[in-house]
Amino acid sequence: MKIAVPIKFVPDLVEELTIDPNGTALDTSWLRLIINEFDDHAVEQAILLKERGGGEVTVVAAEAEGVDDFLYTAAAKGADHLIKLTGDFGSGMNSHAAARALADLLKDSKPDLILTGVQAHNDLDGAVGPLLAELLDMPYVGYVAGVSSTNDKAIARKEYPGGIIAEMEIKLPAVLGIQAAEQPPRYVAYNRIRQVMGTSKIEERTITALDLSGGVTASRMFQPESSQRATILEGSPEEVADQMVGILKELGML
Amino acid sequence: MPVRETFWNIPHWAEIAQYILALLTAVVFVYGVTRRILRVRQGQSEKRTGHFWARIWSLVVQVLGQKRTLGELYPGLMHFTIFWGMLVLAIGTALATVDWDITLLFFGFQFLTGWVYIIFELTLDILGLLVITGLGMAIYRRYVIRPARLQNFPLKTLPRDDVYVLAMLAFIAISGYLTEGLRLAVTQPDWGVWSPIGGVIAAAFLALGDPNNQTLHLIVWGLHIASAFIILGSLPFTKLFHIFSVPLNIYFRSLQPAGALPAARTEGGMGVKEWKQFTWKQLLDFESCTRCGRCQDVCPAYLSSQLLSPRNMMIKLDAHLWEKDGRALHGDIIAPEEIWACTTCRACAQVCPAFIEHLASIVDMRRHLVDQGQMDATLQTALMNLGRYGNSFGQSERMRAKWTASLQPAVKDARHEPVEYLWFVGDYASYSPTLTEVTRKAADVFHKAGLNFGILFDAERNAGNDVRRVGEEGIFEMLAGKNMQALGKCKFETIVTTDPHTYNTLKNEYSWNGNGRPRILHYTELLDKLIVSGQLKFSKKLDYKVTYHDPCYLGRYNGVYDAPRRLIRATGCELAEMPRHGERAFCCGAGGGRIWMEEKPGRERPSEIRVREAAALEGVQAFVVACPKDVTMFRDAVKTTGNESRLQVKDLIELVHEAL
Repeated sequence: MKIAVPIKFVPDLVEELTIDPNGTALDTSWLRLIINEFDDHAVEQAILLKERGGGEVTVVAAEAEGVDDFLYTAAAKGADHLIKLTGDFGSGMNSHAAARALADLLKDSKPDLILTGVQAHNDLDGAVGPLLAELLDMPYVGYVAGVSSTNDKAIARKEYPGGIIAEMEIKLPAVLGIQAAEQPPRYVAYNRIRQVMGTSKIEERTITALDLSGGVTASRMFQPESSQRATILEGSPEEVADQMVGILKELGML
Repeated sequence: MPVRETFWNIPHWAEIAQYILALLTAVVFVYGVTRRILRVRQGQSEKRTGHFWARIWSLVVQVLGQKRTLGELYPGLMHFTIFWGMLVLAIGTALATVDWDITLLFFGFQFLTGWVYIIFELTLDILGLLVITGLGMAIYRRYVIRPARLQNFPLKTLPRDDVYVLAMLAFIAISGYLTEGLRLAVTQPDWGVWSPIGGVIAAAFLALGDPNNQTLHLIVWGLHIASAFIILGSLPFTKLFHIFSVPLNIYFRSLQPAGALPAARTEGGMGVKEWKQFTWKQLLDFESCTRCGRCQDVCPAYLSSQLLSPRNMMIKLDAHLWEKDGRALHGDIIAPEEIWACTTCRACAQVCPAFIEHLASIVDMRRHLVDQGQMDATLQTALMNLGRYGNSFGQSERMRAKWTASLQPAVKDARHEPVEYLWFVGDYASYSPTLTEVTRKAADVFHKAGLNFGILFDAERNAGNDVRRVGEEGIFEMLAGKNMQALGKCKFETIVTTDPHTYNTLKNEYSWNGNGRPRILHYTELLDKLIVSGQLKFSKKLDYKVTYHDPCYLGRYNGVYDAPRRLIRATGCELAEMPRHGERAFCCGAGGGRIWMEEKPGRERPSEIRVREAAALEGVQAFVVACPKDVTMFRDAVKTTGNESRLQVKDLIELVHEAL
C-alpha cells in the first residue's frame, strides 16, 4: 500500500510571536518553525500502518527551515521517500495553494491513502485534507485517531464528544485528517537520524507557480487585547452568593 | 633436627592416590578456568593496559592490603583474616610440596628443616586459627546476624554456593588441625611446642586414651586431602573464583577519571542489546561480583524501593552469560525499570571491593533502549527539547540569559569581549524560575570579588553530562560540539561552572584540542581560591549551624570535598557533618537524567531520605548544597517531609552572598 503524508511547518511557540508592521501577518524575522503536531501524528500513523501491513510511506513537505531534519527523522522512523517542495513561497502559502500543489504531485504517484494532520495551529480552518480530497476526487474523513486498513478499504476511528467512538469504513484511495496516531510519535535517537542522512535522499520538486485563490486574507492581526480583570469574591459561601446576586443585579441580569 | 614429617603414617598407595587426585583436580580446575576465560573473551575489545606499575600498586593496596574491603569493620576483618590465613596456608602447602616433590626428589635435600621448619610450623599453626576465626565470623554473620544485603538473591541456587564454600573451608581447616594433632600425639617430637594448636589437640587425644590410633589419623588425613582437592577443583565453579577474577578486575580497572564515561560502541547497533556487545572488561566485572551487597546498601535507587539493586544486576548478568535458554538480556534478564532507576551517583562503584564499574554497563544498556526509543514520555520530551533547543526546559535559547536582565553592572558577553573567567551557567541555573535569584546572587558575588567574567548568553547549550548518562550519545556529541564551537570563539582563561554536572563533563569528557583543556573550576573552588588569595573578603560573620550535602558530581566524581567546606567555615557558619558525607554522601536522586524521568512511587524518595538524615542533626538550621539541581530537589523534599520550618535549603553561594 502506498501512503502519502503531506506535512507542514508552523511557528514554534517557544519564541515570542510578533506582528509585522503591516499588521496582517506574523513578523517572520524572529520566527522559528516546528513540525505541526498533527502532521507529526500523521507520520506516526503512516509508519504504524506500514509496520503492520507493509507498503511505502512518502512524506511531502514544503521547503522551510528545519524541514530537512524532520524529513530525515521521518526516514529514520521508516518513511521510504522524502519529497521537498521548493519554489518561491515568499508571498505566502495557504491551504488552497498547498492542496493544489500537492494534488499535482500526488496525481502521478497515486497513493492508496493520504494521511495529513487534521489542522494546524497557525491556520485552524483544516482545509488541506478536504481540498486535496476534492481535487483528487477521493473521500475524506477528518479528526481520525487510529486507522487500520486492508487492501482496498480503511477503517478510521473517530472520537466524538461524550466518549463515543465511531469506526468508519472508507473505500480507498482516500484522504484522512489525523488528529492523533494510535501511539505518540516515537523517539528517534540522534545517531539514527545522522545515519539516515548518509543513506536517504530528499527529492526536490519545484513548484513553479502558487495559486492562492480561494483562501481568506487577514485584514488585521493583533495580540489579544486585555479586557477588565477578574474579581475574586471572598467570604463564606453565603456572603459570596450575596455578592454574586448583587453584581448580577447591577449588570441588569436579574 | 626438626624436620617436616611428610607423609608420616601414610601408606604408599595413599600417597600415590593423592597424586592421582591432584592430577584430576588440576584437570578440572584448568577446564573451569579456561571456560571462564573463553567466556570473558567473547566480549568486545577494550584497552585496559598501560600504567603497569600503577596497576601493580593497586594490587598491592587492594588485594594484599584489602583497603576497600576493610572499609567496613566486621566484614572487612572477617575477609582479611580468611584471605591472609588461606593465602599463607596455601603458600605453606606449596612450599611443602616443593620441599618434598622437587628439592628432595630431584636434588636430595630438604629446606624445611631446623629453625626454618619451626618458623614454618608456628606460622601455619597460628594462621590456621586466623582462618577459623574468620570463617566463624562469616558463619555467624551470614546465618545469625543475617544482614539484609546477603538475603534475597535473584538466583535461588546461590545460598547453596555460600554454604558449600564456608562448610568446605571450615572442614579443611579443622581436619588439618586434627591430622596434625593425631600425628603429634603419636610422634611427640621435641619441636611439638612450636605447633601450639596442634599440641593442644594432641593433648586432647592423649587424654582420650589410645595415643597410637594411626587408623584414625589416616582417615582424617584422607578426608582433609580429599576436601582440599575438591574445593580446589570446584573453585572455578563457585564464588571462590573471585580469588582469580577480582585481582584481575582490579589490575584492569579503569585509570581514567571517574567522570569520563567510556564512549558508546556502535557495532551491531548503539549500546548493548546482547551480552556479547559488552566489553571483555564488563564481562569480567560480572564474573567478579562476590554478591557482598555493599553496593546495594548505598544505592539511592534501591533504598528508595526502586527495582534496581546493583548487586542483583551483577548477579543476573553473570548468570545470563552462562544461560543456554535463549532469554533476552533486555526484558527477560534486566527490566527497563532497573536500568532507568540508576541516578549514576557512583556510590556503588566507590564501595565495590572488586572494583566493578557498574555505570559503564548500565549506560551501555540505556544506550540500546534510547536507540530503540524505549523510554518514558517525560524523558522523551526532555531529549527532544535538548536536541531542538539545547536545554531540557524546552525554551528558546534567547531566554537563556533572561536572568541577567536589569543586573547592574551588566554581565559581559564573552563572545564579544575577552574575559578572564568564562562562567558556564548551565540549564537549571539559567532557566529554572525558582533558581533565578540564586544565579543572580552568584553574579553579584563574582562582581563584588572583582572578577572579570562573562557568559555565553544564547550560545550556551546544556553541557550534556546527563544526556550522555541517559544514553543519548548523539545529542551529547551535538551539544558538546556546539559548546566547543561557541567556546572556541571566545577569549578566556578559566571556565567556572555553577553546576557540578556541567563541571564534570567539561572537565572529563569534552575533547579539548589545540591549546588543551583550559582550567575548569566549580564556583566553590574558585571562591575558595579567592578567599585564600585575599581577593574575596567577608564583612559579616554568619552564625548558622549548617550541614553540607556533597553533590555526587563534585565530590565522588571529582574529589572536591574540601573547598566547599572551607568556604562554609569562612562565612562563619558552623559545619555539622551528616553521617554520610564526603565520598559516602547520599545522592539527591536527580542525577543521570533521573530529574527528567517520571518518578515511580517508592517508599521514600532519595531526597527525602537525605533530608531526614540532615534533620536528625542537633540544631542544624540550613542544608547547604552546591548544585542547582540539589536546590530544586531538596526544597521540595523539606516540604514533603515536613521539615520546612526546621531546615532551610541554601545554595552555598547564598551563604557567601550574605556574608559579603
